[in-house]
Amino acid sequence: MQRNLLCSVAMVLLFVPSLPAQRVGEAAPEFEATDSNGQTHKLSEYRGKFVVLEWHNNGCPYTRKHYESGNMQRLQKEWTGKGVVWFTVISSAPGQQGYVTAQQENDYLKQMNAAPTAALLDPQGFLGRLYSAKTTPHMFIINPAGVLIYDGAIDSRATTDQADIASARNYVSEALGEAMAGKPVTTPTSRPYGCSVKYAH
Amino acid sequence: MLNRFVMQLAGILLACAGELVFPRLTASADPAAEHTKLELVSEQDAIVPGQKLWLGVRFDLQDGWHTYWVNPGDSGEGPRVEWQLPTGFQAGPIQWPFPARLSTPPLVDYGYEHQVLLMTAVQLPWQAKEGKIETIGARVHYLVCREVCIPGEKQLALSLPVRSRAARSRSGQLFEVTRQRVPQRAPSQWRISVASVANEFVLNLRATTSLESVQFFPLNEEQIENAALQRTSLIPGGVRLHLEKSKHLLKPISRLEGVLVIGSAKAYLVDIPVTNHSGAIPSQ
Repeated sequence: MQRNLLCSVAMVLLFVPSLPAQRVGEAAPEFEATDSNGQTHKLSEYRGKFVVLEWHNNGCPYTRKHYESGNMQRLQKEWTGKGVVWFTVISSAPGQQGYVTAQQENDYLKQMNAAPTAALLDPQGFLGRLYSAKTTPHMFIINPAGVLIYDGAIDSRATTDQADIASARNYVSEALGEAMAGKPVTTPTSRPYGCSVKYAH
Repeated sequence: MLNRFVMQLAGILLACAGELVFPRLTASADPAAEHTKLELVSEQDAIVPGQKLWLGVRFDLQDGWHTYWVNPGDSGEGPRVEWQLPTGFQAGPIQWPFPARLSTPPLVDYGYEHQVLLMTAVQLPWQAKEGKIETIGARVHYLVCREVCIPGEKQLALSLPVRSRAARSRSGQLFEVTRQRVPQRAPSQWRISVASVANEFVLNLRATTSLESVQFFPLNEEQIENAALQRTSLIPGGVRLHLEKSKHLLKPISRLEGVLVIGSAKAYLVDIPVTNHSGAIPSQ
């Protein structure tokens, strides 16, 4: 198992530099990652479901805007309640802001009353680089056929001010709502806003 | 005796409260201020009725810290200034100096290190009364980052007398230096074209100036990949710049708007129609 994981990580590493960045409308790249409870998840295991990827850094003021207001938790509860698989992904490298151990992440999830399906720990940044995750937050949505249907910001107000949440257009909810209703996604991409993902140098 | 004890206790409690509360308050009130100083400055030392006055918000950033351009690039956020002006005063848009390319692989941001002046022209009313002191306020929302990012908000103010003539203030020279870094309209005799070819925008520039190094900074977000290398090649009479399209760009764009920085000091504002080519790169 461990060996398999190492192999897949190595494969990902080998292929990343030659892969053109995926675009909305194309197949989302396969990944295998470990969550804060030690469980592994493969994207392909979730065929047939919508999957949300939420890049996260608990010290970033843009992430804090959406957690301290309860906005992110509300979204997680609403959409996982409708069958969506929601992965919070942490790509901060050890020593960088937002890096957490599995225990620290579990404590954080509990303390914040967060409700993702799982929090994927990506301290080497493999998953982050595979998806070209730039900011925290940066949101991706993959449809039940495994196609990327949204890549961008959480909403339309690129600030750290919680007061802006109410007047913002939430692109994630819009896209999930439209896609579930069988409609095309109005805003399939936007500039993700936030702090840079704290990758290993 | 009891009184003295109470007083002493109160003193200790106050000291404790000071220790506990005061540093926290100062630390949380504006932690960004520890990494940048902000000042509202004027090019002239007085307000002259009916004239134009250049004001600026000056950032003095601690080493290693940066703030952002109007298009911040892959992460971050540009500063916003809310003016509080006396009646009849009218502020124009910020004249953004061209930024630096701030690279933290795999990302590239556009911003400023060390010092930047965000200049704004203010049209002064004819009715301004000579001898009066007018106060101009500016509330600045900004983000400073190093490895971490801290949002800040600062209320600035500047008082100037109304006079019939003005002299250069002690900030005058900074305005002059900054003006050199604010992009100018590209000269009309320059020939610039942009073609959309596969996953690139190909920018051809024929100019009346030496083109030893050319960099493009996009004014609009998500048109080009900020972190992609801007490959240049020589064409007769000019240079060609290869700009990788943003993977977020799903529809063709009609114009490419941005700043061309030539060498390390001259910047030009360009707004070029984009022609779509499915075949070879045009030479014109």
